[in-house]
Amino acid sequence: MKVAISPLAALPFVLLVVTACQSTPPPVADGSQASAPPAPSSAPGPAAPRSPVFSETARNIANNCFTCHGPDGKSPAAIPGLSRLSAEQIAARLRSFKNGTASSTIMGRHAKAYSNAEIDAVAAYIAGVNKQAKP
Amino acid sequence: MSKLTRRKFLRLAGVGLASGAGALGFSRSASAQSGAARIVVIGGGFGGATCANYLKRLDPGLSVTLVESSKRFVTCPFSNYVIADWRTISTITHNYAATQKHGVEVVQDTAIAIDAIARQVSLKSGKRLAYDRLVVSPGIDFKWGAIEGYDEAAAEVMPHAWKAGPQTLLLRKKILGMRNGDTFILVAPGNPFRCPPAPYERASVIAYYLKSYKPRSKILILDSKESFSEQALFMDGWDALYPGMIEWVSGARGGRVTSVNTKTMTVATEIEKYRGNAVNVIPPQMAGNIARDAGLVDETGWCPVDPRTFESKKHKGIHVIGDAANAAPMPKSGFVANSQAKIVASAITRELRGHAPFDGVYVNTCYSLLAPDYGISMANVYRTSADGIQEVSGAGGVSPREASAAFRAEEAKYAAGWYASIVADIWS
Repeated sequence: MKVAISPLAALPFVLLVVTACQSTPPPVADGSQASAPPAPSSAPGPAAPRSPVFSETARNIANNCFTCHGPDGKSPAAIPGLSRLSAEQIAARLRSFKNGTASSTIMGRHAKAYSNAEIDAVAAYIAGVNKQAKP
Repeated sequence: MSKLTRRKFLRLAGVGLASGAGALGFSRSASAQSGAARIVVIGGGFGGATCANYLKRLDPGLSVTLVESSKRFVTCPFSNYVIADWRTISTITHNYAATQKHGVEVVQDTAIAIDAIARQVSLKSGKRLAYDRLVVSPGIDFKWGAIEGYDEAAAEVMPHAWKAGPQTLLLRKKILGMRNGDTFILVAPGNPFRCPPAPYERASVIAYYLKSYKPRSKILILDSKESFSEQALFMDGWDALYPGMIEWVSGARGGRVTSVNTKTMTVATEIEKYRGNAVNVIPPQMAGNIARDAGLVDETGWCPVDPRTFESKKHKGIHVIGDAANAAPMPKSGFVANSQAKIVASAITRELRGHAPFDGVYVNTCYSLLAPDYGISMANVYRTSADGIQEVSGAGGVSPREASAAFRAEEAKYAAGWYASIVADIWS
């Protein structure tokens, strides 16, 4: 159940300190993009090789998923669990909810809120949590 | 958006970087700094209990103390089904055994004062708790007397049942005591209030009960508002399931209740007087008492907070989450409180480590049942920045108006799944 803070969480801070010395600061992502500080990939997994999504944001979004899908995606009841799915399966499913190719009651409404990079990062995060949890 | 200005950049780069405090935090090891930190959380509901758990998960070295006055917590979500006699109250009652197992110290006591300068919480028992960071999640209290004649004594005759527990059972008793042909009056408050669709879900599930056992009975909703959450979906459902049974009166059409009389069981609006055999008054609300006593509220009665960290705009070092916070446009719901709690837990651990705040993604998912096999839902996603909270456009929304019975049944099934999952997240 424990979620360790990734050492990479410190990265944006470091990068910002470095970029402070540069004459041209980097642009900020536009308002529709959740990833806050400009940072290289901090999300593990092959689904997101160069995801710009900040690891804290991936964890944040995944924690919202777990509210309905159960702690760490292990569902105690009627809502499908996520803990046995691979990052690729979760990402593919979310994309099909987002673009409407998969029917759903509520997931289409949720999935439309996320960029593809966020979907990859959150899928990798959820799969990663469950990989760690296995004996 | 424009390029990052230097000033904005400094703000992003870390709390107090300019003053040198950030540099100090950075030079010390994260665990040494945060390991000693004491976090006190006031309130063991959807916000507080979640925040306490997630603080321990994020950093097991933190000292986390949860102050909650009750041994057990009865959830408002699903309490409508207890009122309608679908569930027993024990199925919506939870305790803090798991919270303690996660390493949170649970203190059964009531916070009566906060000293924001000395960073201390005073408890009813006389004990004091020192904190480095305080999370206040007290939920709501009622504006007694805002409706003339509606005080705590009146709530024993005309229950509010807007805090779950004895009030839930009292309203259930009143509903079960109705005779065939009786009238049930539900008085609904103006915005903002706890759980926007809940008064209308309550009317729906009571209609289900009355249709089954007392079919000549009527439900009258006297509302202070001109419209309500998921209105079209509720009204479609009422027409289909309970034709002619539920009447909704908007504020402009005389729905605004100004006084009640518990002796005559009457409710007076600006225009007319109504008599009910059972009356449920959901009064106007404000942030829980401790938030007001500690000076955390503004003139709205709710607590203004920084949109990123939910740190109080009134007092440094105090974060206010859940229904008590003014986080508009987010609704006051258990789901939102849970979502805020997890992000604030991250914000606090980041701050203790000298990391910059991050922009959170917040979610709300509300299910309402109109009958055991008829569910509807609302979904919302919000993003925050230093400028405020925005709902993500093009996402979220309510269930489709045109939907099959199977679709409604599936949403009803997911409503039960939702409850099982969220309470597992918080109390197991």
